[in-house]
Amino acid sequence: MESLNLIKPELLTLTSEQMTALMPYFWMMAGACLAIIGSVLQSMQPKWVVFVLSIASAFLAMVSTWNTLGHPPILLFNGMMVVDSYTRFGNLLFIASGVLTSLGAFRYLDREKIHLPEFHILVLFAVMGMMLMISSLDLIVLFIAFEIMSLCVYLLVGFRRSDRKGNEASVKYFILGGAASAVMLYGAALLYGATGSLNLSEILQYAVVGNDLSIIFVMGAWLMVVGFLFKVATVPFHMWMPDVYEGAPTPVTGFMTTGLKAAAFATFIRVILSLGYGRGMIESLQAQMHDLIWVIAVVTMLLGNIIALTQKNLKRMLAYSSIAHTGYLMVGLAAGGMGAPDYSSVLVYLVSYAIMNMGAFLTLTLMSGPNDEGLMLNDLSGMSQRRPWISFAMAVFVFSLAGVPPTAGFIGKYLLFYQAVQSGETLLVVIAVLCSAISVYYYLRVLVYMYMKDPQEAVGDQRVSLWSKVAIAFMVVLTLEIGLIPSGWIEAAKAAISHL
Amino acid sequence: MSIIPGVEPWAVLSFAAIIFFIGLAGLVIRRNLLVVLMCIELMLNAVNLTFVSFSQIHQNLEGQMAVFFIIVVAAAESAVGLGLIIALFRTLRTLDTENLQLLKE
Repeated sequence: MESLNLIKPELLTLTSEQMTALMPYFWMMAGACLAIIGSVLQSMQPKWVVFVLSIASAFLAMVSTWNTLGHPPILLFNGMMVVDSYTRFGNLLFIASGVLTSLGAFRYLDREKIHLPEFHILVLFAVMGMMLMISSLDLIVLFIAFEIMSLCVYLLVGFRRSDRKGNEASVKYFILGGAASAVMLYGAALLYGATGSLNLSEILQYAVVGNDLSIIFVMGAWLMVVGFLFKVATVPFHMWMPDVYEGAPTPVTGFMTTGLKAAAFATFIRVILSLGYGRGMIESLQAQMHDLIWVIAVVTMLLGNIIALTQKNLKRMLAYSSIAHTGYLMVGLAAGGMGAPDYSSVLVYLVSYAIMNMGAFLTLTLMSGPNDEGLMLNDLSGMSQRRPWISFAMAVFVFSLAGVPPTAGFIGKYLLFYQAVQSGETLLVVIAVLCSAISVYYYLRVLVYMYMKDPQEAVGDQRVSLWSKVAIAFMVVLTLEIGLIPSGWIEAAKAAISHL
Repeated sequence: MSIIPGVEPWAVLSFAAIIFFIGLAGLVIRRNLLVVLMCIELMLNAVNLTFVSFSQIHQNLEGQMAVFFIIVVAAAESAVGLGLIIALFRTLRTLDTENLQLLKE
């Protein structure tokens, strides 16, 4: 048992660089814990205390991440965690999605009469889990972070406790998600059995050097990959997604499509790279894994887009469109397995997808009536005459989701497909472009209903909170900004993957 | 290196694998939500067994450390799961998965 000797005193203390690297995590943790205390104060309304605390701590975490963007990678806790530029890039995205969820949900929760302070606290803890997950270099840290995030999101999905749809969605998500984590964990156990270590860099060494990969390693690698494929919801592991997206409160659905999906995908890239994918994994396994991802990308894009055509409920339609977008991201992953792996385009796509989808769901939150009614296509008829600004914002997001220039969605798709062609994935890109052409039909149908149909009676509360206005305006500006001047974002993504 | 004297490592590992797949099969087949929750716990415990036996084979403590964390996470998961199931029972008055039909195409 020589590993006991590995515990050295210097590993039990933190240097000042390590403290600086950990500041965002401390801020989020402190904010969440203070918010729990604040939520039981009797003197003032707990929702305000918790809301202000969560926004403030997220803001501080964001500033401290931003200030360290250019710093070199820092290993923490005996190599169990790393704070590198990839982590920092992801952290900014996750914190932003958490803040926007809280902002967009404020009036919504009041309206649904479920404004319990727990909502903001759970969002904070979920963001914390995402931040830990993307920075983990150890399978156990990864699993714990994964569960911190998932458990919070299960609860957020079931936040409307007296609503049958919400309950059903949360239980379905919990059972399938629990099974997926168990499968992933079994994969981790097998990887540990094959390599004798839970550390990702040691697993990578084993995968690259060992020419005779044991059957245990191969099985473990597959189970890990299946667990992640479930979390990012690719076909055939997508069944839970439309149900959960429809049943969850609308701001939570927005949170799931942005933060959760980005976190799962970014961590997926880190893990699959450390299994040696595209980095000298043995030929046969590399080819198998590449082919599997290739096939999954095609099936996911086709199925997501085609089923989305038949959907009448906007939330369900966006759920299938989210599956389709996962397919496009898988194109990037398949391309990364060929030649020199370059995932910067995947990162740019994740960011632009997060921004436009967050915007779309914040706008949907405003459009929905009580109990999330009024999200059928018919309810949008003539929306442009009743609520011109909201319709305009929705139009921008829908154009971006469809990939029309000059929006973020166009730049994301362009970079992703360009890089895939460079890696020799021409056939895959042809299929992806055709699928994206199919998607234009159902995205533009939203616009047709909003702008070209006769107006209908208004549904629900027409007031818009200041928070939502700020958040949506910010998303519109960002969507157009990435579309018009993408160079800064591409540079940031390139810098982010440089240490990966 | 045998884990228990007279027992080959592959026997223990296969035992854990069988338990894991019993859990997975139960998750797919059983209709009662509480039993489904138990199946998830069964899968996690099979993983624990796997970790412990590999830890013994490799003679390092990482696997045993992992088990402690997994036990904690499994406890948190069943707490959350039971909470969600109770909330569902209050509105649905049943625990049969056949009745989860509200959200579909």
